[in-house]
Amino acid sequence: MLFLIIEGVALWSYASSSPYTEAKILSRTTAVGGAISGTITDVEHFFSLAENNRQLAARVAELSERVAQYDDLDVTLGGEEVSDAVVDSLATRHEGHFRYREARVVSMTTNRMRNFIILDRGAEEGIAPNMGVVTPNNELVGYVVSCSSHYCVVQPMLNVEFSTGGRLVDNDHVCMIIWSGDSKYRVEAQDISVYAEPREGMVVEVRSERLPDGVTIGTIEECELNSTKSAYSAVIAIAADMSRLDNVLIVENTHYGELEELKQELNL
Amino acid sequence: MFRSVPYIGMTLMVLFLQIFILDELSIALWLRPMIFPIVVMLLPMEWRTIWVMLATLAVGLVMDLAQGGAGLYTATLLPLSVLRSWVLYITTRRGVEHGDQTSLFSRMSMRNIMTYVGAMLVLHHAMFFVLERLSFAMPLQLVLTIVCSSALSLIIAWPIVRLYSSKIA
Repeated sequence: MLFLIIEGVALWSYASSSPYTEAKILSRTTAVGGAISGTITDVEHFFSLAENNRQLAARVAELSERVAQYDDLDVTLGGEEVSDAVVDSLATRHEGHFRYREARVVSMTTNRMRNFIILDRGAEEGIAPNMGVVTPNNELVGYVVSCSSHYCVVQPMLNVEFSTGGRLVDNDHVCMIIWSGDSKYRVEAQDISVYAEPREGMVVEVRSERLPDGVTIGTIEECELNSTKSAYSAVIAIAADMSRLDNVLIVENTHYGELEELKQELNL
Repeated sequence: MFRSVPYIGMTLMVLFLQIFILDELSIALWLRPMIFPIVVMLLPMEWRTIWVMLATLAVGLVMDLAQGGAGLYTATLLPLSVLRSWVLYITTRRGVEHGDQTSLFSRMSMRNIMTYVGAMLVLHHAMFFVLERLSFAMPLQLVLTIVCSSALSLIIAWPIVRLYSSKIA
């Protein structure tokens, strides 16, 4: 203690002995103080990353919902050019039928033939089977298959029982997406029309009533004609990193029940 | 037991040499020998830190007043009073043992004393020149100044250290 006092007095005396030393020592102590303060801020920032992620995911969900509303509005207006004011005015009155909720992965598997993901949202938050699950970058993860009060189980693409409709972005040809269990980075696209002319690098999106347009499945890595030369099958590199999922979005089509009823009526 | 007469004599001689001869020499900007830290280094290791610190403060104040250091000499000398027992242990693996009745320096070999004094001089010169410049703009020149000045200081101080050691033996 005595050492600190005497040393402090000596340094203060030296520092204030000339404008040069005063300025130099002040700048040094400010730099050191700034560095310490910066380090403390970095540590605090690190521990608040989880909360920041959650907030960002919530924001992405909100924005995705609004984009979906605008997309629907664009279809309603028949693509005719209208002023921004008119679009905004209509958007406030227009009800999009896709709802987004952020969720966090509680647990997941990727090394089995029937993999599952558990999310921290359940029936109490309005989650129900057949809702879609996407990453914040709008890449397909899977579909909700079961719910408890506070959790839901998602069947991801990496499940041999998984299937969904796909669409080649370049030419709108549809296909069936399945997983054969060969690789956790690839799924298969089947029944691609011979007129689709699929090729490497083509982007494949989801075509399903459970999700809006624009949700990416991945890109074609290789494709080949089947033995009867009636359709193509392709290997698709999955866009989402399925082994590093953390925050995801659950997508609800509010018209899905209506569509299902209609299908049942017609026995489709 | 501490023999104060040789120590006071050594202190006066060192301060005289430093203030009236070494500080008046202008050999080169990067060569400034300072031998006064040996006054602190050679204080009995058995002394309590507070007494060593007060003695150091006195030497630092004399140097500051004589050289117009405005606290620079005191600020760079004072850490030696706290660090010296650590430096001694690190450089020579020697430390004060409980119940020691004779001066530690009288039982140390000349090689060990030289290592200890050399390390302390480098430490002091490093603190002094860094604090004096308050800049790392020319690091090589700074290192050269520290190394060369410490070496010259050791060469000048060594006869005094030997003489003092022989008097307390």
